[in-house]
Amino acid sequence: MKAAEPRRASFQASTLPHLNRLVALASRWGNGDEAEDFVQETYARAWTAFHQLRDTGAVFPWLCQILRTVALEKHRTVARRRDLLFITELEAAHEEMVASDDPSPLDQLLARIEAGSLREALRSIPGDLAEAVELHDVQGLKYREIAEVVSIPIGTVMSRISRGRKLLAGLLKVREDQEPGSQVAIQGRRSQGE
Amino acid sequence: MRNHGRQQAGHLVTAEGPEHERLRALVAPFADGELSAEESRAVEEHLPGCARCRRELTIHQDLSAALAREPTPGASAALRQRIEWMGEPRPVRNDGGSPFLLRWAAPALAALVLLAVAGGGVMVAARVRTSRQMAEVPLLHDALADCRRAMSRNFPKKADLPAVTANVTFPVRALDRPGLELFSTWKTTLAGSPAVGLAYRFRGVVVVQYAVAADLVRQQPGLGKTVAGASFYEGSSQGQAVIALLQGGSGTLLIAELPPRELRRLIL
Repeated sequence: MKAAEPRRASFQASTLPHLNRLVALASRWGNGDEAEDFVQETYARAWTAFHQLRDTGAVFPWLCQILRTVALEKHRTVARRRDLLFITELEAAHEEMVASDDPSPLDQLLARIEAGSLREALRSIPGDLAEAVELHDVQGLKYREIAEVVSIPIGTVMSRISRGRKLLAGLLKVREDQEPGSQVAIQGRRSQGE
Repeated sequence: MRNHGRQQAGHLVTAEGPEHERLRALVAPFADGELSAEESRAVEEHLPGCARCRRELTIHQDLSAALAREPTPGASAALRQRIEWMGEPRPVRNDGGSPFLLRWAAPALAALVLLAVAGGGVMVAARVRTSRQMAEVPLLHDALADCRRAMSRNFPKKADLPAVTANVTFPVRALDRPGLELFSTWKTTLAGSPAVGLAYRFRGVVVVQYAVAADLVRQQPGLGKTVAGASFYEGSSQGQAVIALLQGGSGTLLIAELPPRELRRLIL
């Protein structure tokens, strides 16, 4: 029991600082208690596999990888037909923004958004794109780290983040066009990603 | 679309051309500081002559910054506590599940089972038992199992102490501590004998109290001797602390996802 104490102390010191961020990330796949259950399971698996962690500087991406596995095991997303018409609409809206004369197309839109709405809006774009954007912009992971967490090439990370933000921008534009000058929370249609 | 016709690195970069599309695809990673020095230079040289890509860059930068500012949920105090307790001396896994988790579908709550010692007086701490040892005590084994069942299926919706204590032959006293809120009661059977279950909310944690006949406790192997003489029994199983006492003519079990020292404070 005494011999376990250094290991436990090391585990706590390495992993506990990331608890809040993991809960935030877990909220992608579940709300409230479900998200916390994912995180609790993540820590349990991390404890079991702690001896395998070689790079203590990469604890957070390692935990993210475990969390993602846990969440995807338990949050079985039923593949649904992507609403292609909706995606096309967002792409067109984005194109309209970059083709306009406004040097800062999103300034006014972002100024009107309620806190929390932007992250909620991510749920309305394909899940693989939203995940990449969230891991980078919300969780602060680098492209290389995201590639490891999601097990995809860095080039794919790059294209998912690029396209994800474009669709998000398009969504903001579509909502603005539908309700000009409003401050309502963004509530795009849900789109289950791959 | 307008033809920029700008010369860049020996190539004519037009808005529709493949070179422009290549550079346009680099705008997001450029905004994120993820390009090589050579690629960054190429984008930097392209931007002054391409308003479209400048707007694209602004979109990426603004969205990234706005998302970084978004509020995110944090861990509850209960979750943090459970994680902090992870790795404490500890449960031998005997059901294939995680040694540190309650694999219950219920919200992340702890069950507290309290066993009260008869006669009050000085409480003597008993040696902490592991779940393997507790599994060999029928009363404790059944209490833990019943607790898990109640948690996974949700507790009975109401607390009706008179109803559940009718026809039991031993006294049942609800816990009375600040912060404890009784929300559920039920009848059950532990180690083949009648028992009454009471569930409380306590600071985001569920506390489950089982009241049983005092003789049942005394007859339990490894438990009876411990609780005799104003002692209490203490153990842990799969992340839950367990305390058992005899008090006022009956026995009480307490199980919780709390450190044992916190459990003791509730009843001692």
